[in-house]
Amino acid sequence: MRRILIVDDAATVRMYHRNILEAAGYAVEEAVNGVEALEKALQAPFDLYVVDINMPKLDGYGFLRELRGQDFFQAPAIMVSTEAESSDHQQAYVAGANAYLVKPVKPDHLLTHVKLLIGVAA
Amino acid sequence: MSPLLEQFLSEARDFLQGIGEKLMELEDAPADVELMTSLFRMVHTLKGNSGLFEFPEMTRVLHAGEDLMDAVRQGRVDYSKELADRLLDAMDFVGMLCDEIEAKGGIGATHAADSARLAESLRQLIATVEGAAAVAVAVALIKTVADVAAADGRPLPLADIPEDVRMNAYRQACDGAVLHWLDYAPAEECFFQGDDPFFQARGTPGLLWGSISARQPWPPLAALDAYRCALDFHLLSAAPRAELDEYYRYMPDQVRMVPVSPLALALPAGDPNGGPVYEDFVVDAMKLLDAGHIEGLGRSVHTLLELSSPYLWLSSALRWLLLLMELAPEDRKAFGTLIESLRHLKAPQWADHELDGTANTAASTIAVTAQESPLTPEEAAALQALVAVQREILNLPVAASWQMGRIKGVAAALSGCLKASGDLAAVPGLEAATATALEEAATAPLLLWLEGKFEQQPKSAVAETTAVATALATGHEVASERPAAALPVGAETEGDTKLGFGRRAEDVAAGPKSLKVDQTKIDRLMNLIGEMVVSKNALPYLAGRAETVFGVRDLAREIKSQYAVINRIAEEMQDAIMQVRMMPVSFVFQRFPRLVRDISRKLGKEVNLVLEGEDTEADKNIIESLGDPLVHIVRNSLDHGFELPAVRLAAGKPAAGTLTIRASQESDRVVIEIRDDGKGIDPMTIKRKAYEKGLIDEAALERMSDQEAVNLVFASGFSTMEVVSDLSGRGVGMDVVRTAVEKVNGIVTLDSEKGKGTRLRLSLPLSMAVTNVMIVESDGQIFGVPMDSVVETVRVPKSAIRTIKKSLATVLRGRIVPLKSINTLLGLATAPKANANDELAVLVVRLGDESVGLLVDDFRETTDIILKPMTGVLARLVAYSGSALMGDGSVLMVLNVKEIL
Repeated sequence: MRRILIVDDAATVRMYHRNILEAAGYAVEEAVNGVEALEKALQAPFDLYVVDINMPKLDGYGFLRELRGQDFFQAPAIMVSTEAESSDHQQAYVAGANAYLVKPVKPDHLLTHVKLLIGVAA
Repeated sequence: MSPLLEQFLSEARDFLQGIGEKLMELEDAPADVELMTSLFRMVHTLKGNSGLFEFPEMTRVLHAGEDLMDAVRQGRVDYSKELADRLLDAMDFVGMLCDEIEAKGGIGATHAADSARLAESLRQLIATVEGAAAVAVAVALIKTVADVAAADGRPLPLADIPEDVRMNAYRQACDGAVLHWLDYAPAEECFFQGDDPFFQARGTPGLLWGSISARQPWPPLAALDAYRCALDFHLLSAAPRAELDEYYRYMPDQVRMVPVSPLALALPAGDPNGGPVYEDFVVDAMKLLDAGHIEGLGRSVHTLLELSSPYLWLSSALRWLLLLMELAPEDRKAFGTLIESLRHLKAPQWADHELDGTANTAASTIAVTAQESPLTPEEAAALQALVAVQREILNLPVAASWQMGRIKGVAAALSGCLKASGDLAAVPGLEAATATALEEAATAPLLLWLEGKFEQQPKSAVAETTAVATALATGHEVASERPAAALPVGAETEGDTKLGFGRRAEDVAAGPKSLKVDQTKIDRLMNLIGEMVVSKNALPYLAGRAETVFGVRDLAREIKSQYAVINRIAEEMQDAIMQVRMMPVSFVFQRFPRLVRDISRKLGKEVNLVLEGEDTEADKNIIESLGDPLVHIVRNSLDHGFELPAVRLAAGKPAAGTLTIRASQESDRVVIEIRDDGKGIDPMTIKRKAYEKGLIDEAALERMSDQEAVNLVFASGFSTMEVVSDLSGRGVGMDVVRTAVEKVNGIVTLDSEKGKGTRLRLSLPLSMAVTNVMIVESDGQIFGVPMDSVVETVRVPKSAIRTIKKSLATVLRGRIVPLKSINTLLGLATAPKANANDELAVLVVRLGDESVGLLVDDFRETTDIILKPMTGVLARLVAYSGSALMGDGSVLMVLNVKEIL
């Protein structure tokens, strides 16, 4: 079972992404900010991280930098944010994201990326 | 309503509340960067959430608000009170939209203009003219969620549909209908949300066929949870996509819609054995087809069909062939495919038919099904974009500390892409390149590999992936082993790192300790415990009967001791349930900071609000009934009580007035005190005013005490303000407050000192659940009278009762008390019974400020009852406020004293 961590401070967004990913058969966990996400990742690394940018305590950039700073983490990460500027994309890639999707993400768009990055769920 | 939408609404309300509070705080500390940032984040997140739904009106306003806050946060725009006003307005608007969505499931069309206007007014505050374009983007972005066409590549089980239904669908498709396959997987807890999945599925527009399947193998009957939906619905519909989207708009996450091409329906089905396979027929038919001799083909198909059993696979294929020849005579290629399929009795490969467009009979013999084609065109496009991004990442400047992680991330992403596209052969190459890259701590080796691997790929992506389709069956297995390889180092081995950013006490979010419960459930509990309290009261009666009627004294004693136990438990239980209904008054207090701020600003007054005792608790109904009266009082105080700053200074008071709202508990009552240090109430003004309005006569004007005069503000139709203001003073001021408070058995008192201020005291019961009544007897019946209205019970000698103008009265403690016979009031003909000493029982009750004596036959005990309002036809009997069940099973009617007098 592929495990995915959704990191977002908005419960609605987490639920939305969870619904999409679980419907496709992935095991999904949630974290409400970067700090909680790091704790969860430390307990058991995930196959993919779906990360929001704007979060309290530790934002998405910070989380990814920490993640990439630990060299045992090599799972891909998708950054999800409402910002559509290319400078935001750039910043996300610098921090360590492998893909950047603009919110709201279409379900099939998200699934396509997840499938490409970590394969189908089963 | 879908759970997602519910979640959104509840979270949105929290955010709106938070935004309101933060804005207030910001007013006191406009330079607080942290406050500003968290405010921005709230607006930002709320906007993001709203984008998940089709609420352009909401998103537009929030987006404007977000941009404004962003500008403030970055110092491009200065924070001002006007700005806060506009933002608060915008949040009110959003709150209103939330209410509407909750009530009606959507936003009315009328709000579009308001939304645009609000957004515009917010944007005006941002000096730069970057607004309009962004709105357009936001609106465009919302148009997404509805189309959930998740094409996950699995072939649809179209063969499950009966042939005649499929043929009918095919006909409709040829007439221009678009067919959709729907997989509707209702949420497990859907029954609790009032959904009826079966009804929903049955009502699907354009429904041609449907089937139901169990989501998982059925558990043993004992383990089956009948309250969870374990069914999936599979439907075929000929309705336009837009109509289907509309129909399933509240559950887009539960429905998968896949367009079905008409030819995909042409799946012969039936017994593949029995009956000869005419190799000759296939050859002949292909010849006829190649020669373009369609009529001849039709004849030979008919002949063979007549010779064959209708249940054969062959016959089914032939019927489809005839249907195709009838409806789509140009599609020769399709005929060929169908005829070819007869050779092996294998389903025709329509996927190829549509993919490459060249009638290629050989293709159908290769076992490539739609299932094995790994990437759809969209996926292929996404793949290329992803690869391009990875290249961009590799080309980024070196990021010292997390460079290695980034390389690994890219490697993992690329590896995923390779596996997803079935290109397993390339994985070792990637791994080698990654290893080199990590060794050299440079991205060059990976970039090099990327150039070699993907540069030539672009256009041939689809073609290439089909070529490796055969490798895919194994590919799935290999891919599934990946996670293990991806986690080479366990978390424990990195103990040091863990300390670096590990658990900190303040980061541990406390899990919610509270439970949201529907109020009706609590009400039900309350009713049940009420019944229990009453029925347990039957035990003493039973004990009495055991002793007196049956003469078993020991049993009576045992019943009594058991009763004591049950009584204690029932009382504790009642208390516990009442505790559940308790709410802090902060629930009503929280709106006041905003209210006071808005109103005082509008009036040009300066008022500081002080709230005290916010955590004082009372029954939910009481708390809720407090809301409106309090708002009224506060408005009144701001409007009439406080002077303008200049006036205050002139009177030697500080320019800013202080309004204190204090809650406290006094024995079994909650007391709310609203105190202002305004100009107070001038009894003379009140008297004059009341006289002018005809509320009092000249005589009353003379002898009225100051306190009585002040109390006149509670008289209905009284308002002291000369000009009817925008806020209060419509002549329905304090009497509304008094009525509302008295409705829940509360008392309002007011005292005021001219020039110093006014103090209003609301005293309310803690709970309305239990009513203390006095039981009185009259004409052989018993009635309850609420103790709140009982002043005293006295026995008055008949001789002391006088008749004044046909009505009875007596003098009690120096005051004249009018007497009324309860029998007369209730229309009973009997006269009140006097006791042996020729005294009449008088129950003195309070009626507003007056006391009235009720003549009854006798007094009984007082008791706690659970008052049940009159329902149905009985609701029209206004003389009674309700009924209650007594311990002995009889019904006690409780009088509504105000109504009968």
